[in-house]
Amino acid sequence: MANSLEARLTSLRDTRVWRSIFRSGSGATNLRRALAVQQNVFLHLASVKVRKRSLAFRVTWFLGTLTLGAFLILVLTGIPLMLYYHPSVPQAYADMNDLRFVVSAGVFLRNLHRWSAHAMVLLVFAHMFKVFYRGAYRPPREFNWVIGVVLLLITLFLSYTGYLLPWDQLAFWAITVGSNLISAVPVFGARIRFLLLGGHTVNANALLRFYVLHCVILPLAAVTFVAIHFWRIRKDGGIYSGESKRHE
Amino acid sequence: MSLGGKIAAARRLLFGDSARTFGTLSVVLLALLAVVPAKDYFREWRTYQKGYLRLVSKRSDATSLARRFEPGVQQVWLPELGVVDRCATCHVALKESSLADVKTQPFRPHPSIPHNLSDFGCAFCHRGQGAATTVEEAHRSTKSWEEPILPARYLESSCGQCHLDRPAGTPLLNQGRDTLAQYGCVRCHTIKTLGGVTLAGTDDPPSLAHIAEKTSREWIAAWLKNPQAYAASATMPNFQLPDEDIRDISAFLMAQSTPYRAGTAAETAPAAAAADAAAQQEGASLYGESFCASCHATQNAAGTLVGGTLGPELTRVGSKVKTAWLADWLRNPKVYDPETKMPHYRLDSKQIGLLLGFLGGKTDSDFLGNRHFDAAPKAEIEHGQKLVIERGCAACHDINGVKKPDDFAPELTLVGSRPLAKILFAPGVPETLPDYIAAKIRQPRSFGNALKMPQYTLAPQQVDGLVTALLAQTEGAQTVPARLRVAARRPSDYHAAGKAGQLIEDMSCFSCHTINGRGGDMAPELTWEGTSVQRAWLVNFLKNPNTLRPALIRRMPKFNVTDAEASTLADYIMTVYQTPAFDRDALDGAHFTAADGERGKELFYGKYACQSCHIVDPNQDKGYIGPTLTQVGVRLNAAWIFHWLKNAQSLRPGTLEPVWNMSDDDARAIAAFLMAQKTAPRAEAARK
Repeated sequence: MANSLEARLTSLRDTRVWRSIFRSGSGATNLRRALAVQQNVFLHLASVKVRKRSLAFRVTWFLGTLTLGAFLILVLTGIPLMLYYHPSVPQAYADMNDLRFVVSAGVFLRNLHRWSAHAMVLLVFAHMFKVFYRGAYRPPREFNWVIGVVLLLITLFLSYTGYLLPWDQLAFWAITVGSNLISAVPVFGARIRFLLLGGHTVNANALLRFYVLHCVILPLAAVTFVAIHFWRIRKDGGIYSGESKRHE
Repeated sequence: MSLGGKIAAARRLLFGDSARTFGTLSVVLLALLAVVPAKDYFREWRTYQKGYLRLVSKRSDATSLARRFEPGVQQVWLPELGVVDRCATCHVALKESSLADVKTQPFRPHPSIPHNLSDFGCAFCHRGQGAATTVEEAHRSTKSWEEPILPARYLESSCGQCHLDRPAGTPLLNQGRDTLAQYGCVRCHTIKTLGGVTLAGTDDPPSLAHIAEKTSREWIAAWLKNPQAYAASATMPNFQLPDEDIRDISAFLMAQSTPYRAGTAAETAPAAAAADAAAQQEGASLYGESFCASCHATQNAAGTLVGGTLGPELTRVGSKVKTAWLADWLRNPKVYDPETKMPHYRLDSKQIGLLLGFLGGKTDSDFLGNRHFDAAPKAEIEHGQKLVIERGCAACHDINGVKKPDDFAPELTLVGSRPLAKILFAPGVPETLPDYIAAKIRQPRSFGNALKMPQYTLAPQQVDGLVTALLAQTEGAQTVPARLRVAARRPSDYHAAGKAGQLIEDMSCFSCHTINGRGGDMAPELTWEGTSVQRAWLVNFLKNPNTLRPALIRRMPKFNVTDAEASTLADYIMTVYQTPAFDRDALDGAHFTAADGERGKELFYGKYACQSCHIVDPNQDKGYIGPTLTQVGVRLNAAWIFHWLKNAQSLRPGTLEPVWNMSDDDARAIAAFLMAQKTAPRAEAARK
């Protein structure tokens, strides 16, 4: 049975439609396998070849993949949340009440988004600790470490901008305090704060700016840097699977 | 098989290879996800709706109640007001008046109010979170939303978000707004009501520009120490000043005072009447005859205040005013204060002397104590001026050399929406907005000794009123759609013209009578007086007012007008104060026949039972509610009586006279009967 399934898949891969979409045809040769990965826009970010031992749990604890998973959940839940949300005063909080009290599974959607956000922050930190203590940041991976730091900052900023969006007392005062911290930056502090809030107080402008940052600018930046991050894993020689003296 | 073996077998079955592990985890995840629709379905409000159905199932009208019940989330949505209220999801019986006996919430029906519940929603009046469907979120202050529902005792404040018209159903709100205006609150705090109208003070803080001529520095000091010790009804608050500050402020106030009769020499003051008992008695009766007590109160032996509130309390006036000033004031108060509400009584020197003696005797030696001040050094006066500026005295009083401060205290236009997070609570004050406002009014200095707000002497009821009035100052009130606003009666600045106008101002007619929207409510409105009365009676009444309503304590005082003055006033009133509704001369009393009068008498005593409120025959009738009609034929105009009987409310809205819907014939007959009543009751009594 297994063989016939294999045979069917092979014949499917050789159809014209399949070939026009995926370019690579069938065949169990290493070249074919390498092409299948290299010629796919999603897969080409990953290494063509991955050592089996680098896929072991103990190597990465899958922390990077889990972070990616949390990020995907955030995108997937964020989109339906956007359907219910108006970034305006005072409608934003009214929308929150709608989600909590009348929208079917609204609470689930919100909580999933919220807990995934918490999880992602936690996972990003854990991922960085793991990389740091295993020494995986060392050359030739030092640039990818820097990209990782940028991604950490984007994650934190995503969390921060998302916190204002419910527009309740908690959010309002947290962002008031948070933005006052920014004005402690030497020389430019007050200007950065003005730029971020679109004014001198946390108000409708700030809400709109935080919304655009949270839903457009920061996710796009995150996707861009994640792409670079993954691509560099491949370019830097795949997942660091432990010190091997064999390299030298 | 051993237990260990069983576990190992199960483990192989579920997690034997990656496909099995994936399958097992998927099933677990699916089971976990089933919690979501379950939680979504079993919401708190469902329990209450079930409880309601259980409750009504035991009642006799169960079927109709159950039929009217609508399951699921119930929502009022009013985009114009920004209202999304789901309270009716649990409060399912708000409109079921047959459940009046149910006392358990959330099933009580709403008490009857003049509005349709669906027009305003719930949170507009009750505050809290209307959109929430859980008890905690809807009623209480949470991390997300700090405004809990409004305690029931302050609920009238919500009416004040639209109403500025003193609705009868909101006594506490009306009283609170009056207090704001009467106790000078609005002279330091700007309070804009809906529509942007700034609340104006109705108190009359005296000018201090000539105070040295009126009273002594010792009195000023004692007054500043505790105004309520001088007059229990004083509205001036206690500024809790230390004695040195009082010394310096009184020094400055004396120093800044200028003579009020600049240039003209004061008339020689009549000597106060001899202090013998007879003169005191005579002064007291003149005080009574002049109806001074209609406006001024005095404390009686039991310590209760007796008298009106229009003028200052006079219990200890002898300890306050200088005799020369009082004589001048009694001769013509408009000289000292052109704006005063006190009428110019045109008293002669003897009368002034009697009143001086009587009022001068109203002293209280304890009040002044043994204060005595010597001439103040310059430094004290300058310090006094600094204090007067700091304390904002000029916000209420005119003081030479001190400018009236602008926005002396924080604006209170939006105090009813003040965010709790921006409030610094004094220790021991519950952290809610009403409690904060009440504590601030009761003991302003408990929030810090450096605060300038003085200590008021207010009854608990007054504090509740003030809190209610201030809670009405919400952001919602500023954005209420114009069609929902019920405006206050616009204040009129009507002035009568010419010589008569001067007389009306001089005698302060507006203090008691309303004419064309301006004036007080102590006495009848005079807007259409010219249509109502006969000229001869009016002239006579102005010269010598007699009693129209024997049941009233407050009566028109005698202003000692000359013939010429009475005639000028009567001419003006007869010509100008006319209703456009009908012609005064349309019904000529001369055409009434005796038969008309007889029929009128029968109707008067029979069909309409007018004697329940009015007196025509003093030996027989007992009506004391309305004016006595023994001489009404001399006083009123036939056409006025006719139209009054037809529809008195259209002539004087609010009058107690019922709307009779009389036929023209009945009204004409009664008018004929009344026009025949021309005899003075005394004359009749003397004849018998």
